[in-house]
Amino acid sequence: MSTDTHADDGPGDAADDRRETRGLLERVRASPFLSDLLSNRLAVAGLLVILTVVVVAVYARVTMDLTELTRSRLGTDVPDRAPPGWVGPAAWNQYLFGTDAAARDIYKRCLYGAWLAMKFGTITVGVSTVVGVSLGIVAAYYGDVTDNVVMRTMDVLLAFPPLLLALALVAIFPRELGLWRAVAALTLVYTPRFARVVRGAALKVLEDEYVNATVALGASDPRILARHVLPNTLAPVTVQSTLNFGLAIIDLAALSFLGFGAQAGTPSWGLMLSRGVDNGLLTGRWWLSFFPGLVLAVTVLGFNLLGDGMRDALDPRMREAVD
Amino acid sequence: MASLRFVLKRLLLLVPVLFGVATVVFGILHLAPGDPARIIAGQRASAEQVAQVRRELGLTRPLWVQYLDFIWEAARFDFGRSYSISQGNPVRQVLADRLPVTVELALYGQLAGIFIGIPLGVLSAIKQDTATDHLTRVGALSGISVPIFWSGPLLILLFATFLGVLPTSGRIDSTLFLPTTWTLLGRELPLTGMITVDALLLGRFDAFVSAVRHLLMPALVIGIYATALISRMMRSSMLEVVRQDYMRTARAKGQGAKITVTKHGFRNALIPVVTIIGIQFGTLLGGAVLTETVFGINGMGLTIVRAIGASDYPVVQGTVLTFALLFTLVTLVVDITYGYLDPRIQQ
Repeated sequence: MSTDTHADDGPGDAADDRRETRGLLERVRASPFLSDLLSNRLAVAGLLVILTVVVVAVYARVTMDLTELTRSRLGTDVPDRAPPGWVGPAAWNQYLFGTDAAARDIYKRCLYGAWLAMKFGTITVGVSTVVGVSLGIVAAYYGDVTDNVVMRTMDVLLAFPPLLLALALVAIFPRELGLWRAVAALTLVYTPRFARVVRGAALKVLEDEYVNATVALGASDPRILARHVLPNTLAPVTVQSTLNFGLAIIDLAALSFLGFGAQAGTPSWGLMLSRGVDNGLLTGRWWLSFFPGLVLAVTVLGFNLLGDGMRDALDPRMREAVD
Repeated sequence: MASLRFVLKRLLLLVPVLFGVATVVFGILHLAPGDPARIIAGQRASAEQVAQVRRELGLTRPLWVQYLDFIWEAARFDFGRSYSISQGNPVRQVLADRLPVTVELALYGQLAGIFIGIPLGVLSAIKQDTATDHLTRVGALSGISVPIFWSGPLLILLFATFLGVLPTSGRIDSTLFLPTTWTLLGRELPLTGMITVDALLLGRFDAFVSAVRHLLMPALVIGIYATALISRMMRSSMLEVVRQDYMRTARAKGQGAKITVTKHGFRNALIPVVTIIGIQFGTLLGGAVLTETVFGINGMGLTIVRAIGASDYPVVQGTVLTFALLFTLVTLVVDITYGYLDPRIQQ
């Protein structure tokens, strides 16, 4: 069968395929960063967790209806606050994680929560990375007044305990924005961290002689920044983003938990936890808060395992640049 | 001399940062939606009444006058009176009541982190790549991945709801009552507001036991987080130090492994960990906010959450500024300690 296919494709294509595969493997092997990372079992475990969460998130987004998950099902034949199927009577078997105070399926809501966490986490980390990297590079390259203005502003933002700055900023945005106001607040909280890391890395690159040579050759500012400075800051930025992703998911959930994020009924892990605490803590209905917290913690652990492995795999001198 | 100059320089550098912090906090009130005058006057107040309140609050003055006024107030730590959550009381009083509660909580958590985290990190480093090391590292990573607003409720479910051995919330049994002052050598002195300390000062053993029972779970959830952070840093710092030349020299001149690790390794490895303890204090304060909410402890954290919910902006400004000031001061102390431990930094 395989020989037939080869015959159809022609010998040249098959050889190309093989060369490409070998090329990729060789490249992985030749890169100390990637081979270090992939030989770190914990980091690989973290990567697998993240991939699983992504698959679950996409699955939930494609197959589930958000309004259906949000709407209260009280008054239907679904029992509210029913324990997980394997604990309670057989009739409730279909609810793996039980149902909540509005008779909604906690299992399905947990799955959809993965989509919300990944979506809003990506936006938060993505925007703060892009803004932080730009600010850091500009500050390092132009130095002087620009550097001072940018970095002193960042210092002011860094002078607040992170969650408290987020809380104060959340107060500015109107309630109707829901999770978006948590995203906006956290973006402002994370941006200075990226700016600081990138500025440090960029300053190191700018000391190198080849940058002077490029300047002497008449390269334009944007060209130097994009071609020489930016690529050299990518490694610490990637680690910082990965570790920050875990943080972003926790912080988004924390703001929802405190009542400043997702709007009532939304299947976000933080809000589910907060409702679970209100409705189940003193009555012993542990499943209301146990499962949303579990999926949240496992997801964050995945990002921390991967981020930690990436930091270890990086050049040790670069480790100092990332906190 | 050099160190005095170092401290003064650090203090001077703080001025613009604190100025910026106050500016951000001022901006919060003026960018926030909702009319403070309307909040105070109430929904049913007439337009004239609201306008009257607005004049009284000084909100009709030009923005730059209000800004300068605010900076002057912030410098004297006077934020006016609470709009709603502690209606009519000066914000300064609210802060004075709540701050010790949060400091006590954060302090116990931090202490647990230092006393458990540092030995764990050293152990992990000495036994690098053994089962002990792997277990400690995975444990520490899990510790920073588990949100406080999950570990807290789980502890309450286990120890309060199911086992019934610890109280679910609050700071002390409601039947116990502590006075606000105590007497030393015939003089009446104010109490600290930190309930475990106060109980001891008053010699009230029953109150002390009750306070400790209430504090156990909240301090534990913060402690787990602090322990995880500190043990991670201690491990990597220790491993870094072990590779240094002076460690090899010490061993080469015939010094035992134990003494080398404790005398040379440990002390040098502590230096970067001191910085981390300072930096993570900010995260710890955030943790205290969540912990207070979970355990119903009426400290700064619960206060700011309530104040934001009720648009009580003077209280929001006061608490945020206090938190930032506290964090900045801890960072300053850490910087100075760092400069003392490693004099090269002072250059």
